[in-house]
Amino acid sequence: MSRSLEETLEPQTVLELRGVSKRFGGITACKDITFTLPRGRIMGLIGPNGAGKTTAFNLITGVYGVTEGAIVLDGVSIAGMRPDRIVRLGVARTFQNIRLFRNLSVLENVVTALDCHETYSLGASFLRLPGVRRRELGLREEAMAFLAAVGLEDKAATRADAMPYGLQRKLEIARALALKPRLLLLDEPAAGMNPEESLDLARLIRRIHDEFKLTTLLIEHHMDVVMALCERIYVMNFGEKLAEGTAEAIQRDPDVLKAYLGEGFKRAQHI
Amino acid sequence: MWQYISGVISLGLIYVIATVGLAVFTGFTGLFSLGHAAFFAIGAYTAAILSYFYGVNFYVALAAGAAAGGLVGFLIGYPTLKAKLRTDYFAIATLGFGEAIRVLLENLPITQGARGLPGIRVDTTLPVLLVCATLVIAFAWNLIHSRHGRAAIAIREDFVAAEMMGVDIFVGRLRSLVFSAACAGLAGGLFAHYFGFIQPSMFTSYMSTQMTAAVVAGGMGSISGPVIATLIFIGIPEALRVANIWRLVAYGLLLVLIMVFRPQGLMGYRELNLDMIKGWFRRAEKGGKA
Amino acid sequence: MFFQTLVTGLAIGGIYALMAVGYSLVFSILNFSNFAYGSIIMLGSYIAYFSMVKLGMPIGVAIIFSILGAAALCYLNERLAYSPLRKRRASSLFFMISAMGTAIFLENLVYAVVGAHFYAFPEVFTKSNITFHGVSIGVLDVFAIVFSSITIYGLHTFLQKSRTGIAIRAASYDIQVTSLNGVNDTALIGLVFMLAGGLAGVSGTFLGMKYIVYPTMGWITNKAYIAAVIGGLGSLPGAVVGGILLGVLETFVSAYVSSVVRDVFSFSLLVLLLMVMPTGLFGRFLEEKV
Repeated sequence: MSRSLEETLEPQTVLELRGVSKRFGGITACKDITFTLPRGRIMGLIGPNGAGKTTAFNLITGVYGVTEGAIVLDGVSIAGMRPDRIVRLGVARTFQNIRLFRNLSVLENVVTALDCHETYSLGASFLRLPGVRRRELGLREEAMAFLAAVGLEDKAATRADAMPYGLQRKLEIARALALKPRLLLLDEPAAGMNPEESLDLARLIRRIHDEFKLTTLLIEHHMDVVMALCERIYVMNFGEKLAEGTAEAIQRDPDVLKAYLGEGFKRAQHI
Repeated sequence: MWQYISGVISLGLIYVIATVGLAVFTGFTGLFSLGHAAFFAIGAYTAAILSYFYGVNFYVALAAGAAAGGLVGFLIGYPTLKAKLRTDYFAIATLGFGEAIRVLLENLPITQGARGLPGIRVDTTLPVLLVCATLVIAFAWNLIHSRHGRAAIAIREDFVAAEMMGVDIFVGRLRSLVFSAACAGLAGGLFAHYFGFIQPSMFTSYMSTQMTAAVVAGGMGSISGPVIATLIFIGIPEALRVANIWRLVAYGLLLVLIMVFRPQGLMGYRELNLDMIKGWFRRAEKGGKA
Repeated sequence: MFFQTLVTGLAIGGIYALMAVGYSLVFSILNFSNFAYGSIIMLGSYIAYFSMVKLGMPIGVAIIFSILGAAALCYLNERLAYSPLRKRRASSLFFMISAMGTAIFLENLVYAVVGAHFYAFPEVFTKSNITFHGVSIGVLDVFAIVFSSITIYGLHTFLQKSRTGIAIRAASYDIQVTSLNGVNDTALIGLVFMLAGGLAGVSGTFLGMKYIVYPTMGWITNKAYIAAVIGGLGSLPGAVVGGILLGVLETFVSAYVSSVVRDVFSFSLLVLLLMVMPTGLFGRFLEEKV
């Protein structure tokens, strides 16, 4: 596959974790986590519950500070930065338990995300200068475009918590996209979905990943989704690395099968 | 008769200005300021001292009062918001600051202590109040419907998610607090030049309570709701000649009842708008016909 | 002077400790600051006062009436103002508003019905002193220290040894898990409020005896919040230690610096602690799970 000039000049690694550890008092949630995520790839982060996957997300997004180790985003060290700064540097995440702005409409949820890169001043807001009015209309149009990307455009005026669960998950994703990230972290996006919905979601993730030129890190328990999307997988157990490799290799790895997938695991198709 | 009515409206408008500020803070960031009367008092004293002792022009004094309120709001807000206090402890801290300011006002020589400041020029008229109230409501509305307002709302809805949307929680909250403190300061200056006399005992928790009750009853997340609630709170008891004490009993009970039965208050998370009013007429018509 | 101040400090500390434990009991289980607690303390004081003055009861019976009355009121408060919110899983903001509403309602109801008079308790031992190594100590202070110690010890034994007590301690760590283990959380919460109410009755009575009885004396619960932060939010032993420490420190500030500064000192301590050492002495790390 040929590369464009821009792609050759950009750094190839979007995210790098080096020896990252997190301790809460006596509990070690993450120990010595090291991996790199190349540009444009989708990587899976899997493991049993309590393995430290969401903690890893929280460390990357700055919700927790690292006890040890380095986290580098496109060459910039982000460990210890405030979460909102990290977001503005281009990291977006979704939450395991959906965290939408429940009393706001679907559209308002996305517009709030778009505000992240908006810059008009406080004074201009107070006076509602013509520039502000134009920007506000522009934001709404852009937000509708993001809703259309996930198929929610006809629900724009609905209250966020009035939507069915599957659509709320889609809204979470639309909101994350509206942050215009270079790195997208998805925390169990298929949670609570049946196999048909999961595969639909997997196709959506693939589509937006390609369309918006993202680099994606995915936590998921639905193996069909993981195997369908991820070229590489990092397996965690008890806060440490259990295995790392291609989807095929992981599906065959005896340690992974024993600890997590189960001996009778059927290999899944890649899409 | 008109004198009396205009007096009630004037008082109502003064409180509307302060309450709209509080609505922006509490209603949109979800934090409580229990000592908000302190900002009101600061604005009142600043404006009064400037116009009485230094003969400063009325409008300049008002602006100074608003600025003073905003400044003190900044000074109080900076450490308390930086510490990321939980809602209840933030409220307690504001209570403490309110108390400290009251002690200050009662003990500084320039404020003449508990005796108060009499003889202030009565410059606040109904037209002045109407203009000020309209401006403040317009600014608040503009703020809410801008990216800064959305940030505040996001903080109220879910501050963890708000941070994940790139919102700087500290700055967002501080901005709202300073705006609301400045509004209270402006209202205070207008108040001082309306009654012509101020003393520390006028700025009590009664005032803070009424403002908070109006925000809750009007509906957090709305501007028009608290405005309506304030006018009702000032207007109806006056009309019924209810004593202050029983008003407070009613406010307290009202707060609990609203929380139990209708937490979204009068307006919920919406604003009064044309569609809503049309809807009422349509329903009234249908009701009449049935 | 030093020894006298210390004894007074310990007496006040004991009262603060009782209030802080009552507050912490509810806080550690429901994770919210019951702003209405102060008014329950105030009502406990009034009940004791009127039992002695109107019904002619001796001090011992008055305290019992106060305990029972305050426990019942605290329980009712929970049932009527908080329980419906809990069922709806309302956010903590709404609990706070409901609590504030209850406080405002009760305080002003007393103002309106009983009046704003300050009541002084009959001379039980308010004026008597004993001399110890040439130093004069108030008998009331000694009585307060002894009574508080007995009450706290009794509560401690109850929490450590009885089945219900252990259930309460379990609930203070995680009420959901506790209810999953078969404990009736509604009944437990009701019981905890009754206990807190009982503590309010005792502390209210002593506050009334030491100082004076008036409708807004409930604001003193701010000291309970401060004590709980010093000792560490979520820790009951911490509340006791915090209460005693605060009482002693405050009394020394009042005696050696000035009594006006006393409250500003306590609030400043609160804000400082919350910024620098929010977990206090024994506190648990209460953070939101992302």
